[in-house]
Amino acid sequence: MRWFFLVFAFLVITMIIGLRGRGEKFSKPPFELFPDMDRQYKVKFQKPSHFFENGMGSRKPVEGTIPMGFHPPLTKEGGVPTSDLDFSYGDDYYNTGLFGDLYGKGFPKDLEVNEELLKRGEQRYQINCVPCHGESGNGKGIVSKYWGFPPVQGDKSDEEFRKEWDAFNGIPPSANLLDPRVMAFPEGQIFWTITHGKGLMGSYRGTVNVKDRWAIVAYVKALQAASK
Amino acid sequence: MGNTFPKWTNWIAIKVLICLGALGTAVIALAWYSWTPKYTRVGYMPQQPIPFDHSLHAGQLGMDCRYCHSFVESSSHSNLPNAELCWNCHGPGKVKSDSPRLELLRQAMDPNYENYTGEPIQWVQIHETPDYAYFNHSAHVNRGVSCVECHGRVDQMPVVYHAKPLSMSFCLDCHRNPDKSLRPLDEITNLDWEAEDEDRDEFYSQLALVKGVDKDALVSADEEEGLEWGKELIGKHIREGWAVNPPQDCAACHR
Repeated sequence: MRWFFLVFAFLVITMIIGLRGRGEKFSKPPFELFPDMDRQYKVKFQKPSHFFENGMGSRKPVEGTIPMGFHPPLTKEGGVPTSDLDFSYGDDYYNTGLFGDLYGKGFPKDLEVNEELLKRGEQRYQINCVPCHGESGNGKGIVSKYWGFPPVQGDKSDEEFRKEWDAFNGIPPSANLLDPRVMAFPEGQIFWTITHGKGLMGSYRGTVNVKDRWAIVAYVKALQAASK
Repeated sequence: MGNTFPKWTNWIAIKVLICLGALGTAVIALAWYSWTPKYTRVGYMPQQPIPFDHSLHAGQLGMDCRYCHSFVESSSHSNLPNAELCWNCHGPGKVKSDSPRLELLRQAMDPNYENYTGEPIQWVQIHETPDYAYFNHSAHVNRGVSCVECHGRVDQMPVVYHAKPLSMSFCLDCHRNPDKSLRPLDEITNLDWEAEDEDRDEFYSQLALVKGVDKDALVSADEEEGLEWGKELIGKHIREGWAVNPPQDCAACHR
């Protein structure tokens, strides 16, 4: 009995020392009692899958098919898709902001520009545009705190310039949407810019869907009108 | 007649029982403490391939969660952004593009880079429900359940860790009593939101407008019931307004 309790006490103490406390940080994958049930062999969102040759679970739609919930490509005549799940793959004005090679003026004819669209545009603008272009569109978002101008070589020696270039750690300024130059942009150009990016601005076609892009265009136009 | 059993056998049964009792207690205590997601999952803080700092991006810079997790409102799965989105700010000539920490991003995105592979970045998933539990993000964020309810203050985490247990009882506690976890839709990604931030007058005016009743009647009805201005009261009105009725049957999450 005495021996039992000695061993027992020893075990309990080692366990208490050995166990990590609740909520203590750890980096090994969490323990799962039934791993085969918890992690089933099926295709999951954004997870690798050994079933496919390239090892990716995320598949591209087979050519000529449309994923469930998405709308079919639009014709040249345009129109507005019935589903909100849409990414540009048509070549009409709604999907490109272009008429032929030229930026289009005005909104696609079947897109209703109403308060709802503006509200949506405001929300999407707050999410996607504000960090650089700022709440009011003046280009002074939070990122402007880190603005810097890249060094110019001028008559510096290569070595000197290289040093300066390496030390440069800023972000070139973002566009002021209330600038007369930008105000003159037709709607199609703003849409095209959101879709493809411009200068240092990247493309947002992967995260902002087509209708939301038009909503942002409407909101930007409203901001510009308000600043006049 | 000699004793068939020696004297020590008188106590052996009780001693064995005591020992077994002690062992049993220890096993139960161990199980109680550690066989639960509160122990197995909370605090999980794996190293990510790129040390992305949420406290900098979401906290200091104040970027909206949906800048990167862009489809959380329309999809059951809250997506990780593609590398292209990181590249929008961290591409050549932009923020910290030469940092060795962003090596994997350059490999994925920069075709002019010598080590270019085009391979996606393999982030480690931290919050992971079992595959037999189907959680739908869009159903929650579109009805006033904020990110913070399940993920904690991610905007204060330099390295993201598992903050809440996300066990079945964690889900059910909230499904049975949702009021304290609902908030106005425009504050969904404001992890710092408190009921005190909400303008009481404004809230009741809006509510009266939506319900088509008198504002003062609403206020006095709540006061009569002895409800104090706070999260639960706001949640109660949101639940009633949208007829939020969290399912509690098995098939709600297990299909």
